[in-house]
Amino acid sequence: MSLTLPQSAVSRRRVLQLLGIGAGTAALAACAPSAPSSTGAAASAAAAGGAKTDFAFSSWSFTEEAAAPALEAIVKAYQDANDVTIKDVSFPYNEYINQLTLQVKGGQFTGAAHVDVAWLGSLAAMGKLQDLSALTEGRGYTDAALAAAQFDGVQYGLPWTIGAIGLVGNSEILQKAGIDPDAFPATIDEFEKALKDLKGLGGGMIPYAASTKAAQLKDILIWMETFGSPLVDGDTVTIGDDASVEAVTWYKSLYDQKLIAADVDRFDARSLFAQGRAAIYDDAPVGRNAVQEESPDKDLGSKLVPLSRPVLKAGETPRALVWGGAIAVVDGEGAATAADFAQFATSDLDTVLADYEVRGLPPVTTEAQQSDVVAADTFGSLFNERITATSTSNPFWKFTAYSQIETVVAEQVQAVLVGKTDAKAAMQKAGEAAQKLVG
Amino acid sequence: MSATTQLPAAPTPPSASSPAEAPRPPQRLRRGALRSERPGVRFAAWATVVVCGGFGLLPVYWLLATSLTPRDQVFAYPPKFFPSAPTLDAFAALASNDQLFGYLRNSVIVSVITAVLSVLVSAYMGYSFSKFRYRGRRSLMYLVLASQMFPQALLLVTLYSVFSAYNLLNTYTALVLSFTTFTLPLCVWMLKGFFDTIPDELVEAARVDGASRLRIIHSIVLPLAAPGLIAAGLFAFVRGWNDFVFALTLAGPEKQTLPPGLVNTFIGEASTAWPELMAASLVVSLPVAIAFIALQKYLVGGLTAGAVKG
Repeated sequence: MSLTLPQSAVSRRRVLQLLGIGAGTAALAACAPSAPSSTGAAASAAAAGGAKTDFAFSSWSFTEEAAAPALEAIVKAYQDANDVTIKDVSFPYNEYINQLTLQVKGGQFTGAAHVDVAWLGSLAAMGKLQDLSALTEGRGYTDAALAAAQFDGVQYGLPWTIGAIGLVGNSEILQKAGIDPDAFPATIDEFEKALKDLKGLGGGMIPYAASTKAAQLKDILIWMETFGSPLVDGDTVTIGDDASVEAVTWYKSLYDQKLIAADVDRFDARSLFAQGRAAIYDDAPVGRNAVQEESPDKDLGSKLVPLSRPVLKAGETPRALVWGGAIAVVDGEGAATAADFAQFATSDLDTVLADYEVRGLPPVTTEAQQSDVVAADTFGSLFNERITATSTSNPFWKFTAYSQIETVVAEQVQAVLVGKTDAKAAMQKAGEAAQKLVG
Repeated sequence: MSATTQLPAAPTPPSASSPAEAPRPPQRLRRGALRSERPGVRFAAWATVVVCGGFGLLPVYWLLATSLTPRDQVFAYPPKFFPSAPTLDAFAALASNDQLFGYLRNSVIVSVITAVLSVLVSAYMGYSFSKFRYRGRRSLMYLVLASQMFPQALLLVTLYSVFSAYNLLNTYTALVLSFTTFTLPLCVWMLKGFFDTIPDELVEAARVDGASRLRIIHSIVLPLAAPGLIAAGLFAFVRGWNDFVFALTLAGPEKQTLPPGLVNTFIGEASTAWPELMAASLVVSLPVAIAFIALQKYLVGGLTAGAVKG
């Protein structure tokens, strides 16, 4: 026999009361306060040199073993010079943009934020980033660096470390295959022949550790541009045009010939390259330290060589994708001092050079780029000359849904690689899906 | 209609007079297969043990091996089953990292409180669903389960907004409440199933003897349900111990628990400190593994009792 609870204990009225409390909670949450929109006032105040206040600085590098000392030194130098306290905030790189967005939207974070230049559009759409253009005057930032940290013509970030993603090779392996790293194949056809020569070395050599995992297949976009697709024309997605189809067809042929390997993302590519199992891969300057740390070859650093991406026809300009970090300033408490800090961290010569010695990432002021320390770095100089010099932004970055756009394209390219569909149908489908996301 | 069930009848011990007819306990059967005189059966039994054991233990071994491997050899090709130059550097690095002890402390606090709170609340809820009959009982039972049907990311944003509005972000309270949100449904249903197996006659007898309702719960029902309570508590503890996304989003730097703390410390933009990450994972797995080993008999009993229909 079951027991019976007295009706009065859980009455209908009580249930309704509980539901009411729940609804009230949800309503209160919906009414949570939001931060003011961007005005640029704090940046102007910083430029005018107002009183300094405490602020927060977020970066994914605060807890990274290799990069943390550089950031801590910058923060300490600024704190000591200005008698303020900087609260450091850190999230893992892969979670960073989501966490920062949540915190900024919820009004939990104000101050300086280290951001990837690819994220500027999404963050700017929240209306809480400062226009920092007033802080760029007379600091010697290069035009290319400033452009990389702009969105829709507004200087939402001060560039910090701007470079590009391009091809990096192992000169020793290239030479073994009879390829001169300083006269690297300039066209797609010559490049493919070089990959076959590298394959001929045997020993399971992967000639080109190109991205083939969906998570990193956005790398295909730069090849589509190399084949002549603009990707976007105004607000119209052009993926599905002849050039994008040709690019994917070529990529698939490399895959079928085993000139590129299955299931490779950036991390895998670095590991394969570090172990001497891959001759060429795509990376930004930030990957240099990683491959050296993971390699049993203690001399790998001297064998790293940046390579210009081959072009479709001789004489065309090699393509590369802008990569880099900037410091943006989120409106609110401490924003004026945060903007001043952003300017200090990115353009004070001594600070930038000390940072360069630890992280080895490309500086953004002409003075720093021409300094002896930076000029003496052969890899860095060549990278700048062969890759960064002709780099362009991803045209999808101007759309807030750029990440989803890259994902839908990557999924279709992967479907082609594994033979589920043909390049033409897949790119048409990818283009249509991307267009829906653009709106 | 009564939803309660009877306790399963205890297995009858085999009769001494008719051993051939007596059912053997399952454990005897398994041991028999491993020691069978038929080589084929013995081989198949051992092969099954080796494959299943390897399936479970190989990742743990690889975790250990990687933690003992220098970073530049982690991805050596061909892979080495035994580290050629084993080193304790990764463990030494852990020992010198004070932040990790902070993460560990936070994990212990949050997981223990989550477990206690989950058991406390779900015990009363489960008892109510099992032993009382009132209007809306079934609806409430399914309502409890409803939170499991939403994607966690969706609830994360909602909880973030609620905690933000009440200034609860970056507190243990936020973590415990959010973890409990996810542990309660399963704990409630698990304990309801367990309470179902406790005969109503027992409760009635206590009432006839003059015991109050609370006395019946605390002195009779809960002690009988101890294995179920332990199983529910362990489940809640592990849920709190392993959570990544909620801990990362709601905890803030001071209250960060081990999973986001380890990722933040060892996984960078361009590289991952695999030996240190594996060493840390190994060390932080130990408390949970020890708890499981110590309480496994309760856990198995608690998880299966509610599933048995008498």
